[in-house]
Amino acid sequence: MLEIFTLSLLTLFAITSVVAAYLAIRERDLVKAVVYSAIQSAMYALIYYVLMAPDIVLVYIPVSVGLIPAVLLFVIKKTERYEGD
Amino acid sequence: MYINEIVVYIGEILVAIGVFCDLAASIGMLRFPNFYVRLHAATVGTIGGAFVPLIGIALIALGAEWLGTYRFFLAGASIITAIIIIILAPVGSHVLARATHRARLVKVEPKVVDHLEEDIKKKEGDENA
Amino acid sequence: MSLEEQVMLFIMIVFPLYLLSFTLYIIRAIKGPTIPDTVLAIDALSFDIAAFLALLSILYRSPILISCAVVLALWVYALDIYVSKYFEARDMGD
Repeated sequence: MLEIFTLSLLTLFAITSVVAAYLAIRERDLVKAVVYSAIQSAMYALIYYVLMAPDIVLVYIPVSVGLIPAVLLFVIKKTERYEGD
Repeated sequence: MYINEIVVYIGEILVAIGVFCDLAASIGMLRFPNFYVRLHAATVGTIGGAFVPLIGIALIALGAEWLGTYRFFLAGASIITAIIIIILAPVGSHVLARATHRARLVKVEPKVVDHLEEDIKKKEGDENA
Repeated sequence: MSLEEQVMLFIMIVFPLYLLSFTLYIIRAIKGPTIPDTVLAIDALSFDIAAFLALLSILYRSPILISCAVVLALWVYALDIYVSKYFEARDMGD
């Protein structure tokens, strides 16, 4: 029973991360793409948690949810918001 | 002694309340029409769906003797997370609503009166005049 | 039924309800029409996931796992502040 629940949890998180990564690549509004990539990395952190690696989660969440969106939003503020073609 | 059973049952009741609030908040988040109405669902989801079950989990962990000595660590960290959430979640949603209103990203749709918008318009009129 | 089995059965019953509400939050986060909708959905989702991780550490019988919940609850707040600071600075012309 526990294995089935754990596998369903992993499936939900993995599918969500794939969909969020696809949307982050396709999106033309770069602020939206940053938010989608934050969803994707948060889901990766939860997958690490379920696979019993809490030490990786402790490093992965501050870097992926805290540092990378801050740097990317700073860069977007200095340049353009919409991706041209 | 039955003290462990009593503490665990109180914790389970709190977790059940949290699950109900969580489901109600997620349905509301999906069904409500625009951003300012969804703030209500977000408040139900964070205070009712995260603060209350974390207190309940702390009580369950205090009564769960099979977890060993580390159960006190679990209970303390749960209470610290609950305090962090009850401080940070209202601040976060308030900041987000303020930024959304000032940047005019979402139209205030079911509106009776909007004093903040009137004040901003009056201030801009004073600056132009 | 001992107390341990009873708690484990309760968590097993609660588990699918949490998964259902996470799915609904994720649907709103992915299809949200504007950016504040997405950020608000991620906010509520992450605070609920922090509570859920504390429940999982009881289910897996390893209390060390709880330290991730504190970190998650602290850092998702930072995403709120970054996005709203971006919008306010653009509004002020800074």
